[in-house]
Amino acid sequence: MLVIVAKLVARRLLAAVPILLVVSALLFCVLRLLPVDPAAMSLPTTATIAEIEAKRREMGLDRPLPEQYLIWLSDALHGNFGRSIQFGREAGSLVAATLPATIQLAGAAMVLAAIFGLGGGLLLFHLRGTWFEAVTDIVSILLLSIPEFLWGLILLFVFGVALHALPFTGAVSPNLPQPHVTGFLLIDALLVGRLDVFASAFRHLILPALALGLAFSPAIMRVLRSSLFDVYHEDYIQQARLRGLSERQILLGHALKNAALPTLTLAGVQFGILFSGTLLVEVIYSYPGMGNLMVDAVRNADLPLIEAIGLTYCVAVLLINTVVDSLYVVLNPKLRVR
Amino acid sequence: MGKHTMSLKLKRRAFLQIATAASLAAPFVRPAAAAGDTATIGWPNDVPSWDPNQRFTPDAQPIFKAVYDQPLDQDPQLKLIPHLIKNWTLAPDATSMAVELRDDVTFHNGDKMTTEDFRYTFLERIRSGVKLDTANSWKRVDDIVIESPSKATMKFSAPDPTAPQWMAFLGSYIVPKKYIESGGLDNFLKKPVGTGPYRLAEYELNSRIVLERDDSYWGPKAKVARVTIEIIKDPSARVAAIQSGQADFTLNVPVREVQRFQSEGGFAAELNPITRVILLQVRADLNFADQNVRLAAHHAIDKAALSKAFYGGAAVPLSVVATPGSPGYLPDFSFKYDPELARQLLAKSGHGPSNPVKIGLAATNGQFPSDYDMARAIVQMWQKVGIAADLQIIEYAKYFELNRASKLPEATLYSWDNATGDPEIFSGYLLNPKMPFSAWKDEAVGGKVLKLFNVANYDARIAGYRDVERFAVEQGATIPLLQSVLTVVRKKNLQYTKYGNGWVLPQTLQWS
Repeated sequence: MLVIVAKLVARRLLAAVPILLVVSALLFCVLRLLPVDPAAMSLPTTATIAEIEAKRREMGLDRPLPEQYLIWLSDALHGNFGRSIQFGREAGSLVAATLPATIQLAGAAMVLAAIFGLGGGLLLFHLRGTWFEAVTDIVSILLLSIPEFLWGLILLFVFGVALHALPFTGAVSPNLPQPHVTGFLLIDALLVGRLDVFASAFRHLILPALALGLAFSPAIMRVLRSSLFDVYHEDYIQQARLRGLSERQILLGHALKNAALPTLTLAGVQFGILFSGTLLVEVIYSYPGMGNLMVDAVRNADLPLIEAIGLTYCVAVLLINTVVDSLYVVLNPKLRVR
Repeated sequence: MGKHTMSLKLKRRAFLQIATAASLAAPFVRPAAAAGDTATIGWPNDVPSWDPNQRFTPDAQPIFKAVYDQPLDQDPQLKLIPHLIKNWTLAPDATSMAVELRDDVTFHNGDKMTTEDFRYTFLERIRSGVKLDTANSWKRVDDIVIESPSKATMKFSAPDPTAPQWMAFLGSYIVPKKYIESGGLDNFLKKPVGTGPYRLAEYELNSRIVLERDDSYWGPKAKVARVTIEIIKDPSARVAAIQSGQADFTLNVPVREVQRFQSEGGFAAELNPITRVILLQVRADLNFADQNVRLAAHHAIDKAALSKAFYGGAAVPLSVVATPGSPGYLPDFSFKYDPELARQLLAKSGHGPSNPVKIGLAATNGQFPSDYDMARAIVQMWQKVGIAADLQIIEYAKYFELNRASKLPEATLYSWDNATGDPEIFSGYLLNPKMPFSAWKDEAVGGKVLKLFNVANYDARIAGYRDVERFAVEQGATIPLLQSVLTVVRKKNLQYTKYGNGWVLPQTLQWS
């Protein structure tokens, strides 16, 4: 099985190369076609029109678009995404500094989405045929219609403002230091032996992760329930009943495993969307991740930074899809045969 | 027995609730003893970099002023005052400026601040090729002649009449020559060293800035020992932070929230007029080529109503592009709101409510408070007199490109910040056809402005700008609307010094 998975990962990574090239070209062209002037944005307010023109030439903005792209691509392949207009630092180093926080947030959110999604799906399935079914159905649709930023605001005002129960700004309390080892704050706090920092970072992670998790769990919930409905119409479920297995054994031993496949596919897609959903949530919770940085970049027409972050999101989604596909192979024996 | 059991259950439940609440709330309980020594500010934006010469970002200036010092400073009324420079003399032709620095100033690393650092900041590092915005503001510096560790003379290649004002403006902070040259720029950016009242204790990109008082500071010591600046970009989150006690002070919150906080105990909420103008940048061509149309567009706007609707009446209606109290302001000049006159002017050009003149109005949405709503209100006001405006939303970053390509519509709602209050940085920059923000490209006004850039005598310069400001408005070359306001919400017992340009300086915070 390991060989099959390894082959799949290799194939996926090879396929990622042209995808990345297309995405990078699209990203580059779209940004260059926008009516913003990075030359003017990179100069102070006292610059004259002549100085802006000189800057445009210096930045290569007067060259043909394909030439500009090839220069940028060549630099990007060497790890050089250019210097951020707003921050004056290497765009790549800014992404590297903020990416761990976003991964940590997205990971925590996905865990919560999986818990709520699986738990809710099983509950919905369990309540089938009862008068609760209609109610839970409406509730799940209602939850499905609430986007992550709205969850963010709701949770912030309920748990942050009204109840004063959880913090909602930053990644750790103002009176605590932020250790830097791997960039992942929870891990770093443990590595330096600061349990107080770990506890604080954990508390700061709860609300943003919950906002994202709650926004993405209803889809998982509903797909799991539908899959379970389908699976329960299969012959092997009836045969399991005839063999005298309890409903619990049937659910956990047979139905859930098969119903998990479409759910896993959906979760993979959702995780990609969830990763980009961190953007607004990070702004609302002042979480120092890549989404927060992206908002700055867009606001300031910081093209090098937008390109670096955009490509990073693309790579992240491709990696997530590769992991999901690998899991799919692990869970589905039919795919292993092929 | 039953009663006793219930009582026990209730007690246990109550205990569990209290314990849970206490454990969750524990991190927010500020130790009482530390309350006077610390303060947390909810700030809208991060600094672009810790090199204070690198980018002109108005929002970052108060933070830079905590860590670094400027050669000159401004008092709360914006009068230029000595700071690191004790004395300065601008030559009558403004081609040189002699300065005398304080001799008792040290950087946070213990190095003494001298004219070597002054020369390095305003000449050497600019010429070294480091990308700095100050390279533009100090491009006329030909040389800085050092006469002693505390005396030097700046030589300009062309008259620089606003050099003293720029010594207290964007990006003009003295940085340590020896520290940067020996440790490198990257080290300086990671561990910045200034001469300001606070040292940078901790910095997390886009998250927080922790400042610790420098007890060896040469000037008045900061009252609060440790200030944490939490970067909270979302206005609603800043409101929530102050409401919940996670911040002690915040700014740039919606006006309606200020009005709400004003009725709540424990908070002080303010709408402070500052040296920022909201105006319509206009073009001299398209359907605004007709002066009657431009003037009608101006007469048709009820600025007092805009102020009342969007700024609680705190934003002062303006008739010129300068704020009350600043040198270029004309207190006796008023451009009246007169819709009837607007109709008459339009009628002269063959337009009226039944035959409106069609123009475009560009506005940002969220660049400054109520920008889009204000633009909508202006469209309504214009409609009543016979101007049909097509409202277009643009990003602030688009403004320059559209202006460069002559693609801006007839009018653009714009906000302009000028912490110095000097008229050159108000109408001088906004009407100078060679600058990227000027939408007005006509020489009648532009020529007058360009001449003033070389007038060395302060009084003559100011008088010239006063004339230009009036002339520009009478020509319809600009439509000033309101003096903008800074919204502030703070704990009632946290005092600060209010500056006319909206600076909120951490070193002026004080618990009472």
